Amino acid sequence: MTVKTHKTKPPRKRRGGFGSKQEQRFAYLMLLPALALVLIFRVIPLIWGFFLSLTNVDTLGNGDWVGFANYARAANDPTFQDSLINTVILLATLPIWVMLPMLLAILIHQGVPGGKFYRAVYFFPAVLSSVIIGAIFSVVLRYDGSLNNMLGAVGIDAIDWLGSSSNALGSLIAVQLWSTFGMGVLIFMSGLATVPDDIIEAARIDGAGFWQRLFLVIVPSLRPIIEFVAVVTTIGVLTSMFGLIYVLTGGGPGTSTTLPEFLIWLEQGKLNRPGYAAAISMILFVMMGGIAWMQVRIMSRNTNL
Amino acid sequence: MAELALQDVRKSFGAVDVIKGVDLEIKDGEFTVFVGPSGCGKSTLLRMIAGLEEVTSGDIMIDAEVVTDEEPFDREIAMVFQSYALYPHMTVAENMAFALRLQGMSKPERRKVVEQAAEVLKITPLLDRRPAQLSGGQRQRVAIGRAIVREPKVFLFDEPLSNLDAELRVQMRIEIARLHGELKSTMIYVTHDQTEAMTMADRIVVLRDGLVEQVGAPTDLYDDPDNMFVAGFIGSPKMNFLSVAATGPRQVSLGGLSLDLPQLKNDLNVGTEYALGVRPEHLFGGEGPGLTMQIEVVEQLGQTAYVHGRLGAEAQPVVVELRDQRPKTGQTIEITFDLSRATLFDAQEQRVR
Ligand SMILES: Nc1ncnc2c1ncn2[C@@H]1O[C@H](COP(=O)(O)OP(=O)(O)OP(=O)(O)O)[C@@H](O)[C@H]1O
Ligand SMILES: [Mg+2]
Repeated sequence: MTVKTHKTKPPRKRRGGFGSKQEQRFAYLMLLPALALVLIFRVIPLIWGFFLSLTNVDTLGNGDWVGFANYARAANDPTFQDSLINTVILLATLPIWVMLPMLLAILIHQGVPGGKFYRAVYFFPAVLSSVIIGAIFSVVLRYDGSLNNMLGAVGIDAIDWLGSSSNALGSLIAVQLWSTFGMGVLIFMSGLATVPDDIIEAARIDGAGFWQRLFLVIVPSLRPIIEFVAVVTTIGVLTSMFGLIYVLTGGGPGTSTTLPEFLIWLEQGKLNRPGYAAAISMILFVMMGGIAWMQVRIMSRNTNL
Repeated sequence: MAELALQDVRKSFGAVDVIKGVDLEIKDGEFTVFVGPSGCGKSTLLRMIAGLEEVTSGDIMIDAEVVTDEEPFDREIAMVFQSYALYPHMTVAENMAFALRLQGMSKPERRKVVEQAAEVLKITPLLDRRPAQLSGGQRQRVAIGRAIVREPKVFLFDEPLSNLDAELRVQMRIEIARLHGELKSTMIYVTHDQTEAMTMADRIVVLRDGLVEQVGAPTDLYDDPDNMFVAGFIGSPKMNFLSVAATGPRQVSLGGLSLDLPQLKNDLNVGTEYALGVRPEHLFGGEGPGLTMQIEVVEQLGQTAYVHGRLGAEAQPVVVELRDQRPKTGQTIEITFDLSRATLFDAQEQRVR
């Protein structure tokens, strides 16, 4: 059946796409600045970083080729291993990053009282810089900070949110979640607006209760959006937590909140090992490329929805 | 298999009254069509029957049981939407089986029921596709299939064919009629297309502005309308309304011509103005009294032709249906009045019998 429809498809358009030759030349001209920027600030540094990762230069520029020694060192570096474990823990919380905004968006969409107010409030932290958020939460989460005071008022013992290695990563994740989930809510709200009412009504007529309508009809039709939020969030948590770590925990206690991104900065800036930092960067780049590729594949598999 | 009754059903959206008191009884197995102009409340009334719209006051009964406050599913109705409303992430088979799945029917059983329905609707080869891979007509069949597998007491259709092209619409119209013949279920069908109403209905309910204007068999509405609105709404082209003055208890005059209407049971008020309703096909080739008319516009359809012109000193516009003729613009034709089929309306637009 499907083979047949493929055969009867109209022949593909002439190669080269739209417009006359002149227009196409103009289009390339317009693309040039962007292309140059990508080349200068993305591609060249990437290649340069790769070569750097094969050396043991210091910031003064003295150094030799060491081949893949930096990579071998990374494989045996406990700090780097810890940072990877922390990354895995972080990625394991991904379902929360996606589900929480989705549920809140659905509740607002279902018309809970004051929905518009919540939407604005949820979005508010997204406009704050991570340094400000870090500053706010270092006050809130300090051992003698306001959260512990509040807990004390209801008779719960103070918890060392940032200073203990078992809590610090969780606290960090919670703060980052707080500061970004509003964006997810907005994305899901606009997605929900595209789910036609009559499909939900049809489900009601078919006998689906509230939860069945939610999980069998609404959530599946949001699938492309769920995947979009998942990709954006993954890339976000892997690349934009530096500010928060810097202000809140400095990667500690120990290595408990050190993520690869932070480690790169440590090795490069503090420990004066640009070659090694470049090697970790390359590993992080490949990891993220792999994750993004996987997710894009999943997404494109669903484009016919 | 079910009867349906509406008792003084009303609906307001805030301060706006949309349905203003509808009483209606629909017999078991009847194919009822709601027609009326856009915005008259057809969809709202249907959605109230479905249970998708809350009823402001009044009662809805299915099989003598009050269902006014019941959930749609508990009313055992099925609905086919204008937009098809298929679940985009499910295959055709899954769409059709969704209600059965919710009822806990086993997978093989579901498949069997779905395949049977697909057979009836000739969509068996499509069962494993998704809605996005179907044409409009195919989607509508799937939507109908989804309704059939539930074996509902009442089928509700809200303008199911209006997104289809003219040819497909005629074809689907026949198929829905055939389906009704096979299933013998009670069906309510909403349309603003009076042709659909005439061809499909056992009974037509004409709605205007939230009120029922008339209920009856298609031919009853056509031949014997209760008021000018129904007379004008049913039939295409529209019935001609000519303003006439009463010159006797059963006689009116039009453009100097005296027309006798012996079928009237009540006397007319001499000197009062009335509207004489004559259908286009009753203005030509008859035996009755006549007038001449100059043709202004011709709509030639082949076997029939509709000619437009003006009649009498007041130049009242009329449409006349000619059969097997090739009229030309500018020609003069002889209009004859088949008065036995004419209807008369008073200033309140009500029928004078
Ligand atoms: N949710 C609503 N809130 C307010 N007014 C509404 C709502 N739904 C419908 N109406 C109004 O009720 C009236 C009847 O609407 P309805 O959809 O029943 O018309 P309809 O007869 O189906 O028309 P159409 O042939 O265009 O579909 C319209 O004037 C419409 O504006
Ligand atoms: Mg409607």
